[in-house]
Amino acid sequence: MLTAMKAPLLAKLRRCLGRENVLTEPSELVVYECDGYTIEKNQPDAVVFPRSAEQVAEVVRLCNEYDVPVIPRAAGTSLAGGCLPVGGGVVVMLTRMNRILEIDLRNRMAVVEAGVPNLQLSRALAGTGYHFAPDPSSQVASTIGGNAATNAGGPHTLKYGVTVNHVLGAEAVLGDGSIIQCGPLPEPAGLDLIGVLVGSEGTLAILTKLWVRLTPNPQDYRTLRVIFNSVDDATNAIGDIIAAGIIPAAMELMDRGIVEAVEAAFHFGFPLDAEAIVVIELDGLSVSLDWQQRLVVELCNKWHAREVLQASTRAERELLWKCRKMAVGAVGRLSPSYCIQDGVVPRTQLPRILARVTEISGKHQVRIVNVAHAGDGNVHPILLFDERDKEQVARVLAAGEDILEECIRCGGSVTAEHGIGVEKLALMDRLFGPTDLTAMRRVRDAFNPAGRLNPGKLLPSANGDQTFRVGASRRALP
Amino acid sequence: MNQNPESSVSPATVELPLKEAVEPADQEAVAGIIERAWKDGIPVYPWGGCTQMGRGARAVEPGMGLSLRGLNRLVDYPSRDLTVTVEAGLTVAELRHTLARHNQRLPVDIPNAATATIGGAVAASVAGPRQFRWGTLRDYVIGVRAVDGSGMVFSGGGRVVKNAAGYDLCRLLTGSYGTLAVLVQLTLMVKPMPEETAFVIVEASDHGDAERILAHLVRTRTLPSAVELLAGPAWESLGDGLASRGGFWIAVGLEGSPDEVSWMVDQLQAEWREAGVALWHTLHGDEAWAFWDRLTEFPWKAASNNGDGELLVQFHVFPSAVCELVQRLRASQPRASIQAHAGNGVVLARLDIAAEQAAAMVEQNLRPMSASLGGRAIVLKQPRGSDLSRQAIFGPAPPGWQVMQAIKRQFDPKGILNRGRFLLG
Ligand SMILES: Cc1cc2nc3c(=O)[nH]c(=O)nc-3n(C[C@H](O)[C@H](O)[C@H](O)COP(=O)(O)OP(=O)(O)OC[C@H]3O[C@@H](n4cnc5c(N)ncnc54)[C@H](O)[C@@H]3O)c2cc1C
Repeated sequence: MLTAMKAPLLAKLRRCLGRENVLTEPSELVVYECDGYTIEKNQPDAVVFPRSAEQVAEVVRLCNEYDVPVIPRAAGTSLAGGCLPVGGGVVVMLTRMNRILEIDLRNRMAVVEAGVPNLQLSRALAGTGYHFAPDPSSQVASTIGGNAATNAGGPHTLKYGVTVNHVLGAEAVLGDGSIIQCGPLPEPAGLDLIGVLVGSEGTLAILTKLWVRLTPNPQDYRTLRVIFNSVDDATNAIGDIIAAGIIPAAMELMDRGIVEAVEAAFHFGFPLDAEAIVVIELDGLSVSLDWQQRLVVELCNKWHAREVLQASTRAERELLWKCRKMAVGAVGRLSPSYCIQDGVVPRTQLPRILARVTEISGKHQVRIVNVAHAGDGNVHPILLFDERDKEQVARVLAAGEDILEECIRCGGSVTAEHGIGVEKLALMDRLFGPTDLTAMRRVRDAFNPAGRLNPGKLLPSANGDQTFRVGASRRALP
Repeated sequence: MNQNPESSVSPATVELPLKEAVEPADQEAVAGIIERAWKDGIPVYPWGGCTQMGRGARAVEPGMGLSLRGLNRLVDYPSRDLTVTVEAGLTVAELRHTLARHNQRLPVDIPNAATATIGGAVAASVAGPRQFRWGTLRDYVIGVRAVDGSGMVFSGGGRVVKNAAGYDLCRLLTGSYGTLAVLVQLTLMVKPMPEETAFVIVEASDHGDAERILAHLVRTRTLPSAVELLAGPAWESLGDGLASRGGFWIAVGLEGSPDEVSWMVDQLQAEWREAGVALWHTLHGDEAWAFWDRLTEFPWKAASNNGDGELLVQFHVFPSAVCELVQRLRASQPRASIQAHAGNGVVLARLDIAAEQAAAMVEQNLRPMSASLGGRAIVLKQPRGSDLSRQAIFGPAPPGWQVMQAIKRQFDPKGILNRGRFLLG
């Protein structure tokens, strides 16, 4: 809680934003004590709702004056605890900055305020022949600013890249409350600050406006659902497809465990002994899709595909996707709580990492089911547990850590798209060496020297600060 | 492959005030050399293939020349992962050759491939016509190892195509001109090689006509790899039967499988017919591949014998302002040769000019021209004998300048890396 000394800060925030845009009652703050990562919680001291970059800047300046942390938050769908008010502070909500400012087709660009939900932009673009390519599964809620702050991905990143490939410019409020605009024209003489701001999880600046690239809609699709008798067959087929020079728009893998969950929930009629289901989507020019599809089917058959289903109508396509899109929701049927992990390995290491996940599941006696953006080598093991059972929680955390360490050993990384947040802080110095982290700290110090923007995230502190170690064990025993 | 007369530049002919020059054979040695220079406080001037050394201002302070060409190993190429890890001094031609054996490529146009090193290309973020569909090196560098201005070796990114762990140091270093750190190793994402290519080319009579055609392309159902606008003496002829009538060429580059390319050629012609565009030409096969090379090499291929009197300027404007800018350029400089990556708003203008007039041309004529359209202009190459200041070369400080300077101070506290040559030098 803010000490009485800081009451003047609240008064100034109210004056600046209007009383109704500053929340301070514990009953109101409870919503903001965590985001999509629910294992750790802490209430902020206040939550504010600015409507312009100038207001955001004023909030940052005031928080500097009173030495209070500032935590940017948009839809709060972070799965890494990026919005957790670690040491209290003021949560800056970007959700009221939700106007689409311009759609400029001639320059294949849209200008949006940071709080515009991803899907809202897609809807606004309907009929233009263009779309915003990043499509995280949370796109109904998650915002373009949040997507940029986490460098979000999605099923279609295999072909279209992650958010950073689609951000042309940003208006941002820095740690000292100054406002800068980088882009939307590329910077030819200085540094690519946009490239650094994207994926910085609110620790370098608060993004207030974005210029994003628009991508032409594909002319046509071919969507297939392939059932394999083993996960290895599935990953081998996926490897062969890429090696054959075909880059599908998406290749999504689901293992037996998740298929069972989907089946129990939605009765698609999948064989319950299917070890792996892969949804493959090809898109592009109609003229080449048929032979690409033939080749894909051939390669799947080479790996003993048990069933290949090809969507021939739009409705069928949506049905094939539905089983993938509903997968995570269906997990709720299997277990009262679950934790979606996010790890990545070089594509060719997929069989190895998935085999290890199975072993780790046995070792820790934690049930794990898998979905994966397999074309990218991005695995999302989902660990099932009951959060009321502290002993289970400890095993889940240990299993998650084992999986990510195995990703590192495979030459991969501890997060492909969810970010480090607080969840993975303790893994940073296993993934990176001391000098690598030094280099990152320099970047943070250049943007955010006082360290008040989203403190305690993304980077472990230089002196191996105990608070984070304590934090990690606290998370182990919530 | 086109060979640029400058591609034979050896360290001895690079215009740098060198006390000595070294070519270390491994990455540790690079770190040792920089650490020593840091202790002594002397500038370090790194280079790779020396194909882009014309960029930036002339250095004045004597320092250490650091050739990275000794670092030329292919470290790892797991082709099924579509990634490759190389040392910075590997030539672009060697890299291409290696990738081609697996039917893969780095779809970024880098001139002078036989001499240019991949590290140099990344440091300068070299890009050409294909950036329209394929992006720039910033979209391909997924891992770096580099040595900062104190000799500290650090890495960023990794070897996976999707990575959200920590800050993106790869993007920070790409295009930083060696002012933050010297690149020693890179991991790049690569793509499958397309089998076929073609160009569909039309000559617009004036800039209004050109803009109409370009605006129409926004609705195309094809997927162009490049949308180029070409004008001036260098483009008087694009080949047999393709002589300019003084207008603006628009060249649309298409790549893909044979059936994709032939469909796109037909489709684009149909779209143009519908838009009332007449008289297009098509380049196929070898002719088209050769045209890609010509487009890639243009900026660095000297028009006159040695290119001594050449000023090369790069503009950045919105795509919608490209035709207007090119029109104004031509009105003011009728002998300028112009290549615009029109779909990206990048315009290159090459003009012959006396060394002593270069500064005024840039500062009083060209830069205000782009500024009036909301754009930027930087000099890529100045005439031999001219001595443009950094201000003249790069223009006013970019947005975020204070943050950039703070980053520079952090990575190169004594300012020894490329001192005096670049904005952050
Ligand atoms: C069901 C579900 C599915 C998901 N699927 C995917 C997926 O497919 N791919 C994927 O990548 N992620 C996915 N996520 C994770 C999450 O949705 C993404 O990280 C998303 O980009 C977060 O957006 P948000 O608006 O919710 O941001 P928040 O959760 O509010 O914030 C995320 C982080 O960004 C910072 N931040 C937010 N806005 C700004 C801003 N304007 N300026 C500076 N910093 C800011 C916050 O401080 C925090 O660190 C999923 C999450 C859920 C719950």
